[in-house]
Amino acid sequence: MKRIQCCVRLLLVATVTLLLTGCWSSKEIEDLGLIVGTSLDLETGDVSSEEQQDARYANRQLLTITNQFVTSETTVSGTKEGALPEKAYKNVSETGDAVLPTLRNMLLKVDKRSFAEHSKVIIIGEELASTINLQQTLDFFLRELEIRPSGLLFIAQDQASQALETNEPTKIPAFQLVEMMEGHERTTKILPPMTVAKLEGKLYSDSSFLLQNVSTENGEVKFAGAAIIEGKTKKLRGFLNESDLEGIAWMSGDAKGGLVKGFDEESGAPIVYEIISAKSKIIPHVKGDQISFTIKIQSEGRIAEHWVLSDKAFDNQFLKKAEKVFEKEIERLVRKALDKTQHEFQTDVSGFGNKLRIDYPKVWQKRKKEWDQTFSEVPITCEVKVSIKDYGTSGD
Amino acid sequence: MNSSMKDKITTSQAVVIIINYILATGILTLPRASVEKVKTPDVWISVFLGGVVAMIAGVIIVKLSQQYPDKTFYQYNQDIIGKWLGWFISACVIAYFFTISAFEVRIMAEVTSLFLLEGTPTWAIILPFLWVGLYLISGGINTIARLFEIIFPITFVIFLLVAFLSLGIFEIDNLRPVLGLGVVPMLKGIKTATLAFLGPEIMLLLVAFMYPSDKSKAVKVVLAGIAIPLLFYVITVVMVIGALSIEGVLTRTWPTIELMRSFEIPGLIFERFESFLLVIWIMQIFATFTITYYAATLGLAQVFKKNMHPFLYGLLPIIYIIAMTPKNINDLFTFGDKIGHAALILFGVVPITLLLISKLKGKKA
Repeated sequence: MKRIQCCVRLLLVATVTLLLTGCWSSKEIEDLGLIVGTSLDLETGDVSSEEQQDARYANRQLLTITNQFVTSETTVSGTKEGALPEKAYKNVSETGDAVLPTLRNMLLKVDKRSFAEHSKVIIIGEELASTINLQQTLDFFLRELEIRPSGLLFIAQDQASQALETNEPTKIPAFQLVEMMEGHERTTKILPPMTVAKLEGKLYSDSSFLLQNVSTENGEVKFAGAAIIEGKTKKLRGFLNESDLEGIAWMSGDAKGGLVKGFDEESGAPIVYEIISAKSKIIPHVKGDQISFTIKIQSEGRIAEHWVLSDKAFDNQFLKKAEKVFEKEIERLVRKALDKTQHEFQTDVSGFGNKLRIDYPKVWQKRKKEWDQTFSEVPITCEVKVSIKDYGTSGD
Repeated sequence: MNSSMKDKITTSQAVVIIINYILATGILTLPRASVEKVKTPDVWISVFLGGVVAMIAGVIIVKLSQQYPDKTFYQYNQDIIGKWLGWFISACVIAYFFTISAFEVRIMAEVTSLFLLEGTPTWAIILPFLWVGLYLISGGINTIARLFEIIFPITFVIFLLVAFLSLGIFEIDNLRPVLGLGVVPMLKGIKTATLAFLGPEIMLLLVAFMYPSDKSKAVKVVLAGIAIPLLFYVITVVMVIGALSIEGVLTRTWPTIELMRSFEIPGLIFERFESFLLVIWIMQIFATFTITYYAATLGLAQVFKKNMHPFLYGLLPIIYIIAMTPKNINDLFTFGDKIGHAALILFGVVPITLLLISKLKGKKA
């Protein structure tokens, strides 16, 4: 009896050792190629492999996908002194007609195991975005578990892969983009970040929206306005420049911080207003079949800089005058952005439809199919109220 | 096995058992399942009303059990409707309990193999889970209740923490307008929402285990036991829709995990929170699995008037086989719906009928 017990115990101990090996499927960080950013472009040039040529013959569009890798070799601390790598990242491109097979083909040229849990950005090239439905391009990214929905989305003017390049040896462009996005808090020229998670709701609701636009000049990445994605086709419709974005930010109440530059009427000297707070209310009106909107913008802020020699900020008269100047300027920005979105692009990207959905759900149900068309014809009035609270440490 | 003195649970233990039973798969799938039906942001109202419906059903179940305070459902249903019919209903309820326990196990395996243990075969995830459950249940209702008492506060704290951390991506506009398209869409969601509150039926058995002095509190127990999951579910639905919007929720297989994956908070010790949610969720699934497994075993033991242990071991392979039956994830979701519909009849229609019959009989006697 004792012997049997002893045997059983031994057997149990032996089984435990099996379990104690732990970390079966661990991945050593030195062997990983961390993907930190991905860019997608439309490939129109010559193709080499049979797979790609087949796709060409079958009239399928080809994509070039570029992954930005950070590996133990590209990071400075991983290498010995004096052997600094030229770049802190490694970009690998591959072409194919669907996303995942193309990514898998990268296995043929990358020694590290790709790992996308830390992927931060997805950049889509202008040409690709205007040719292929975003829902199709991004399907893999929305489905794949390894890619987190907290990643950011950008549209690149020209080649998206260019946005993942930099001249500075220590910088990683993907991280740079994420950090630059934080500037949204301090200027109205950058959109609020659009994560993959938020994008999904936008894509499936068939509403038009904006994505931050990235352009590259002489190896320098720059935020340059926004790309309009049309809700119906889910393709790129056109671009808004930075000053249009200011108008959009004011309208949609996204202006968290930033400046307004106005000019003194008499002297023509610049006066600069810094936003402390900004609120906007889009109020829909429905009368019978007629839809119209009123935008009410209220902002508080300070005079951050003024070049007008004849006036002093201690003088309330001047502050009143300045408020008028800023109100006019903000209204001009809003008008300009409205004109572009309503008439040039005929897409609603600043949430007018959403407000109609909330306040007049039944009207919205009828109109939502043709909303962008309807939007291009609705009258919109704009009321701006600016109040200057202070003027910093100089009362001059 | 008849309930001996050691098989007694306190009032708070009874509440915790109901809470842990109710909270299960619903946390991860309720936002999508209900939005599919409602299609407007009024889902949270549906969920709320679903909870109220569950409360009504729960109170009826308790009233029925209070008629026979020392017997479980399996024992007293024969007194009400005779041996054969009672036997049949007991068989249905037993089948329901072990089917739902198999369902929970499979859902757990699916989510775990997708999010945590990629590449681990399903059987390797399910088997340890089943064995640990078996070990727990062999200790009887007291052991189960004590474990649940440990699980519940952990769930409560972590759930609220992760839910409110997602406030950063919450947009109130996604939840507006309230009742914009009238009450009809909202009403469509009530059935789905009610199905997320499967669990009060355990009171059919639990009342017998409560201390005699506490049995009068059973109605309060079931109300509290449903109110807390109701709070959890409403918070979940509000947070998920607020962040992902109605359209965004519709296409997500596991919307609540998606919510947790949608934000990162740099600077805290942890930046990512989905594993926290999964941890408490697996604990909740384990709770639901064990209590239903226990309910099925108890039923078999009482119907055949035998010891629990042979049934305990006998059911294990059956649960495993049922758990492995659904071919894919869509099958699994349909399977879940079918269980829900069975529950509507078994615990919506049957208890009230039995209650009426027993009242009528009582008057005659």
